[in-house]
Amino acid sequence: MFGRRRKQEKWILLAPAILVLALITLTPLANTFWLSFTDTRISALPTPVRFIGLENYIYAFTDPEFRDSIYRTLYFTIVSVGLEGILGVAVAVLLNQKFRGQLILRALIILPWAVPTIVNAVAWRLIYHPDYGALNSLLFQLGFISDYRSWIGDPSTAMNMVILADVWKNFPLVAYVALAALQTVPGDLNKAAAIEGAGPWKRFWSITLPWIAGPLMVVMVLRTIEAFRVFDIIYVMTGGGPADSTKTASFFVYQEYFNYLRSGSGASYAVLVAGISAVLILFYYSNAKRQASGATA
Amino acid sequence: MPEQHILSVDNLQKKYGDVQVLKDINVSMEPGEFLVLVGPSGCGKSTLLSCISGLTEVSSGAIQIGGKDCTHAEPANRDIAMVFQSYALFPNMSVERNIGFGLEVRKVADAEKKKKVADVADLLKIEHLLHRRPAELSGGQRQRVAMGRALVRDPKLFLFDEPLSNLDAKLRVTMRTEIKRIHQATGASIVYVTHDQIEAMTLATRIVVLKDGVIQQIGTPHEIYNTPVNAFVADFMGSPSMNLMSGTATPDEGRIRLEIPTPQGAPIELVDTTTAPEVFPNGPTEVLIGLRPEAMTDQKLNNGQNLQTANCLLEVVEPAGADTYAVVHLGGTEAIARLSADAPVQAGEMSPITFDLSKISYFDVTSGNRL
Amino acid sequence: MRRTLLQSVFLYTCVFAVAIFTTGPLLWLVTMSVSAPTDLTEVPLRWIPSEFDFSRYGALLDIDGGSGERFLSALRNSILTAGGATAIALFLAIPAAYSFSRRNASMVLLFAFLATIMMPPITYILPLYSTFSSLGMLNKTITLVIVYTAMLLPFATWLMKANIDVLPLEVEQAAFMEGASTAYTIRTVVLPLALPAIAATAMLSFLVAWDEFFYALIFTNDLSAKTLPVAIADFSAGRVTDYGVIASVGVLATLPPAILAICFQKFIVSGLVAGSVKG
Ligand SMILES: Nc1ncnc2c1ncn2[C@@H]1O[C@H](COP(=O)(O)OP(=O)(O)OP(=O)(O)O)[C@@H](O)[C@H]1O
Ligand SMILES: [Mg+2]
Repeated sequence: MFGRRRKQEKWILLAPAILVLALITLTPLANTFWLSFTDTRISALPTPVRFIGLENYIYAFTDPEFRDSIYRTLYFTIVSVGLEGILGVAVAVLLNQKFRGQLILRALIILPWAVPTIVNAVAWRLIYHPDYGALNSLLFQLGFISDYRSWIGDPSTAMNMVILADVWKNFPLVAYVALAALQTVPGDLNKAAAIEGAGPWKRFWSITLPWIAGPLMVVMVLRTIEAFRVFDIIYVMTGGGPADSTKTASFFVYQEYFNYLRSGSGASYAVLVAGISAVLILFYYSNAKRQASGATA
Repeated sequence: MPEQHILSVDNLQKKYGDVQVLKDINVSMEPGEFLVLVGPSGCGKSTLLSCISGLTEVSSGAIQIGGKDCTHAEPANRDIAMVFQSYALFPNMSVERNIGFGLEVRKVADAEKKKKVADVADLLKIEHLLHRRPAELSGGQRQRVAMGRALVRDPKLFLFDEPLSNLDAKLRVTMRTEIKRIHQATGASIVYVTHDQIEAMTLATRIVVLKDGVIQQIGTPHEIYNTPVNAFVADFMGSPSMNLMSGTATPDEGRIRLEIPTPQGAPIELVDTTTAPEVFPNGPTEVLIGLRPEAMTDQKLNNGQNLQTANCLLEVVEPAGADTYAVVHLGGTEAIARLSADAPVQAGEMSPITFDLSKISYFDVTSGNRL
Repeated sequence: MRRTLLQSVFLYTCVFAVAIFTTGPLLWLVTMSVSAPTDLTEVPLRWIPSEFDFSRYGALLDIDGGSGERFLSALRNSILTAGGATAIALFLAIPAAYSFSRRNASMVLLFAFLATIMMPPITYILPLYSTFSSLGMLNKTITLVIVYTAMLLPFATWLMKANIDVLPLEVEQAAFMEGASTAYTIRTVVLPLALPAIAATAMLSFLVAWDEFFYALIFTNDLSAKTLPVAIADFSAGRVTDYGVIASVGVLATLPPAILAICFQKFIVSGLVAGSVKG
């Protein structure tokens, strides 16, 4: 019965992977969901767990600090992914030209991506240092600023500085995907349009960009999902400060759990953040599916 | 009776979703036969072979191999071997290990394995290649290795899926002869898929002609060639293919009078004395008249009494080495006549053509079936 | 098409700007790591070090020094964690990928796999923390290996699936015809053919694990299990007066992934691109 044997094999081959994922992700997810309806606290002593229904959620929805942290996360996500997209495509277009050192530049571009996130955060923290940072010194010596500034110590600039560091590390991914897509644009298409009298700018908008839009969209959504859960870089660069100006949703939940030890209410925040992520993930899925069917058609 | 069949396929159906790819396939095969499945691209040859091999599951029907029901057996348990169109050699293994892979899987002792591989290599003349990788072989050598892998296990049945189609024309002829030699030397039972009807004619002891998943005809190459059951088989087998001319057949005093229209106006009139007039019980009938190019010739044919000659306009003359082909507009088709190589003919001339009506076939105009 | 002079100037200006933007911060990190401590606290900065000072690297690579011990044990933990998790994840991912590619396992399930790593880790962290805590498994390398295995598995499965998809099916069928079992076929036929893909997948997985911070932060608390990212965060948060030390740790932690990335650029890029483009 090879139909049945194939089916058996299918599940046997999958079983170990499913088991690991169920234990390490599914169970905790369900657990977090359950916790979010309780008033559990992290404590060394065994404490009674009380089911309190939607109370945590009602509080979470009316909590202005949580709401602000979501807004900050959205700001971080939209601005950094947006910049990564623009910079990534621009660099990809550049790398797609013929010039001396093209291969070297292509190899260099991968370096920021290879820098570990934490090292990236640490390096930029040093660069932003209020007294001895390279940024202050550079801008001062070039005459752009007359006084040293505390780039990540000032609530009005801190988030943007974190974004700059994030963009520096992550634009190469977008650039590489865009470049790979660009290399599949048929040269004839551009030549034909040029003969029709379309200028380079028009050609970019009406031919190149639509051609690479599919893969670009997928990688941008992927980056969005990643950016939305930002934690590491915030933890190292600003610790959520100053004045909570970089306290993103993940960081908010982290503090609720491990600083205030409120696991019940922390879980409700976590579930809400997970809900937003789930929407983004579904969006990714529909995009990726369209991409895949488009690619085979 | 089923015991003596090495392969029997009963009422096999194969559907992919709503598309029925194989319809009601019934074939059986004696030991030692060389059965060739032939048909145009997409007709389901590979699918049928794949069902026999067990790589594809049938939708319904039964398959017996060596008298054993194998309809739902794993490929490995069918005691068969297969030669793939792409050869499907294991690129990471030496030729020796490729050939011996089936024995390796069956945990055959090393010494015996080595000997069997050596014997097969000797039969296929590839002893000197045993330590190479497939990437270091030519197309023809890979082909031999693929056959070696099949031969070494001495299975009940061999399956070949278009094994020669990746070779160049010359090598194809050489390998065709080689396969025939191996078949004769080993007496193996072979099912062989091809879309090349010359391969089918030269190799087969029996041919199965498939079209759109339906078997059209099963028969010896001679039967298929001389008495095709319908216009499709007549057209598909043979090169150039059979001329199928529309005309009128009229039974007349124990004979059949034929009229084949020509563009010049006056039809060609012939009299068929071989076929029984009862074929046309309804008097004058529009039919498709099938004649092979070699039955329309300038040569002195001495095989029968049913020869007729008519003057025809030769529109194109194509010398082809051993023969000269001439295109004649007859019965609404470009009929091809096969003339001798040095026939003193020129395009645009009228020339006498001898019709060998003992080789004639009649097909129904609408159904295409043989009458 | 020939470029005009103006176009050339513009092009090379852009090239130069991009090169500076991408390498500038890294060059500065390296410069800091070899500058004399006093150079780093000059105002405005001294861009070119007054002398090259490699002593920090010496100290970091010396197991007996305080910072050397911290650094080297973190390095060891990172290698063990990332290496172990990569090995186990691949071991589980290859059969799963084969199932998706050749046994018709549902794509929705594969997507569910991927969705688990797209979720923010804060969704899983607390129950995991409680469980490992009650099992006495906090602050253990093996704990991180388990968690990282789950983190690498979906991505590795997906990359391997895309790569198995394009292997010639007939070669596997030939192995089945010869009587090989699925396990034997995977081992002797599929794996050798997929070797380049496995290498690429392993490399990318290793880099992802090498980079991980959040779980390591929560699950480890001393030298016995802390990984490099956590150790670096500690270095940077501590009262270090010499910024050059932080820079040298950063440079050392960047070297392995940077070398891998440059040497196996083709591999990694195709993996990344496949990872982002294919559904
Ligand atoms: N896996 C499949 N799913 C759906 N349809 C299929 C599948 N495999 C084959 N078919 C269809 O079945 C029909 C027969 O295919 P098959 O490969 O048997 O043809 P074939 O006679 O071998 O042709 P060729 O000479 O081109 O190899 C084709 O129309 C093909 O499109
Ligand atoms: Mg075929």
